[in-house]
Amino acid sequence: MGLRNVEYMIQEAFTGIRRNGIMAFASVTTIALSLGVLGTFALLALAANRFVLSRVNQFEIAVFIEGKTLADIEPVLKQIRSISGVVEMNVRDRKKEWEAFKRDRPDFESAGVPLDVLPFAVDVKVSDPGRIAQIASKIRLIKGVDRVNESKELVDRILAVLRVVKVLSIAGVLVLLGTTALIISNAIRLTLYARRLEIKIMQLVGATNQFIRLPLVIEGVVLGAVGAVLAWFFLTLGGRYVALMAEKIVFLGRISSGVGRAELACGLIFVGAMIGAAGSFVSIRRFLHD
Amino acid sequence: MIRFDNVSVEYPNGVRALNDVSIHIAKGEFAFVVGPTGSGKSTLLKLIYREVTPTRGRVLFDGEDIGALKANQVPYLRRKLGIVFQDFKLLPQKNVWENLAFAMRVIGRHPRDIRRRISEVLNLVGLTKRCDAFPHQMSGGEQQRAAIARALVNHPTVLLADEPTGNLDPDTSWEIMQLLEQINTHGTTVLVATHDSQIVDRMRKRVIQLEAGYVVRDQEKGAYQHSTLTEDLCCGA
Ligand SMILES: Nc1ncnc2c1ncn2[C@@H]1O[C@H](COP(=O)(O)OP(=O)(O)OP(=O)(O)O)[C@@H](O)[C@H]1O
Ligand SMILES: [Mg+2]
Repeated sequence: MGLRNVEYMIQEAFTGIRRNGIMAFASVTTIALSLGVLGTFALLALAANRFVLSRVNQFEIAVFIEGKTLADIEPVLKQIRSISGVVEMNVRDRKKEWEAFKRDRPDFESAGVPLDVLPFAVDVKVSDPGRIAQIASKIRLIKGVDRVNESKELVDRILAVLRVVKVLSIAGVLVLLGTTALIISNAIRLTLYARRLEIKIMQLVGATNQFIRLPLVIEGVVLGAVGAVLAWFFLTLGGRYVALMAEKIVFLGRISSGVGRAELACGLIFVGAMIGAAGSFVSIRRFLHD
Repeated sequence: MIRFDNVSVEYPNGVRALNDVSIHIAKGEFAFVVGPTGSGKSTLLKLIYREVTPTRGRVLFDGEDIGALKANQVPYLRRKLGIVFQDFKLLPQKNVWENLAFAMRVIGRHPRDIRRRISEVLNLVGLTKRCDAFPHQMSGGEQQRAAIARALVNHPTVLLADEPTGNLDPDTSWEIMQLLEQINTHGTTVLVATHDSQIVDRMRKRVIQLEAGYVVRDQEKGAYQHSTLTEDLCCGA
């Protein structure tokens, strides 16, 4: 298979697309639609994931440390900081806490209880919500730590939801990927059917299966990629609209899948090209064998 | 060159198209395969280009068992064969020149060789002036010539023609036969399936006659019907 033949095959692929314009249009539309559905689903799943995760991140570990001054608790803070997975620490303003406390329990002030009876409250942020429990128990072991509040049930529940979202989105993406491949291979089978005479003649004059297959696979890749570009266009437009709508619904805040436009384009084109190649490969295989 | 050893073909639907056929076609020979519709002529040709494989027996090409070829070897067998179909099988959206070029290109031939060979072949079949005509712009005879040109373009050692005169008037049929005979004199083995009795009678070539899948006659310089009376009549005609 020399360079000359490869060049010929690429040329043939484009000639094929041009000459079977309507079929090519039908395939591209089908691919664009199915990739659009697949992309919408994948982006929504990603957005859901991120949304749930962002909720989890608001839950951090509250650590209460006994001590009269900030200097007293510094060694404890140092130990907490050294635990892997701890991202950030925030010592709450004790005066504010005290004011709040006094409002709750006026009897304490009248009894002359001093400010420094109250432990320092420190909010600890962790990198992975899945490790909250583990890190909390490590902190609990540090000397000088009075109480650790990790709001365990809530985090567990959110993590469970996250797992379900993940499993469902992976299953959904797989199913859609399969359907998309099926639709594309059907669209390509139609173009093959329209060109059965050409293929028959190729076979009868002694073209190898590879020589017959390659231009058609290239054609599948091109159609898949073009479909992907269309899908990308609609997804980007649609995405912007959805984001605008979401911002109007105040409590949701900003929703985003976290996928950049270039990334989305690359991903879609890759998936489209792969599915186009696989789709034509499978249909040609079947076509050549009967 | 081509040998059938006790070949039988039974199609999946149970039809027995050929029964215990044993024939030998030598290099450079010209032979007709005749017989009524459904007698197995096309099946016999299809065995040679491996469109069909024998249910029993073997078909040998230069000593090689065609039925036992692996799928990836079949293209190389077919490059030694030129096949002409009754329905021409020309690509309607390509002109004559492009149809021939296509047949050469898809087996990886160099564009330079393609140009030279096509003008050679078009000259041989007498279509040089019509090289840019599309199939629908040509008469049946011209289309058949184009189909023969395509079959020849890759230098086959054997030319297989299935009813090459099926849709043509007697004069045109005769011209096509003359062309096939000319090709044969250049050294190509030619095998023609036909039920055109006039042609067969006139050509006086080897006749292999099929009847319900059986070879009922294999005769040098034969006529369409096996009878001395018709032979005499034809000679007189
Ligand atoms: N693909 C097939 N499947 C099943 N039966 C077939 C197939 N091809 C041919 N036959 C049957 O096999 C028998 C021989 O067919 P074949 O085409 O070889 O005959 P033929 O002599 O070429 O006839 P014709 O002169 O009409 O072209 C016929 O009865 C036909 O119906
Ligand atoms: Mg036939």
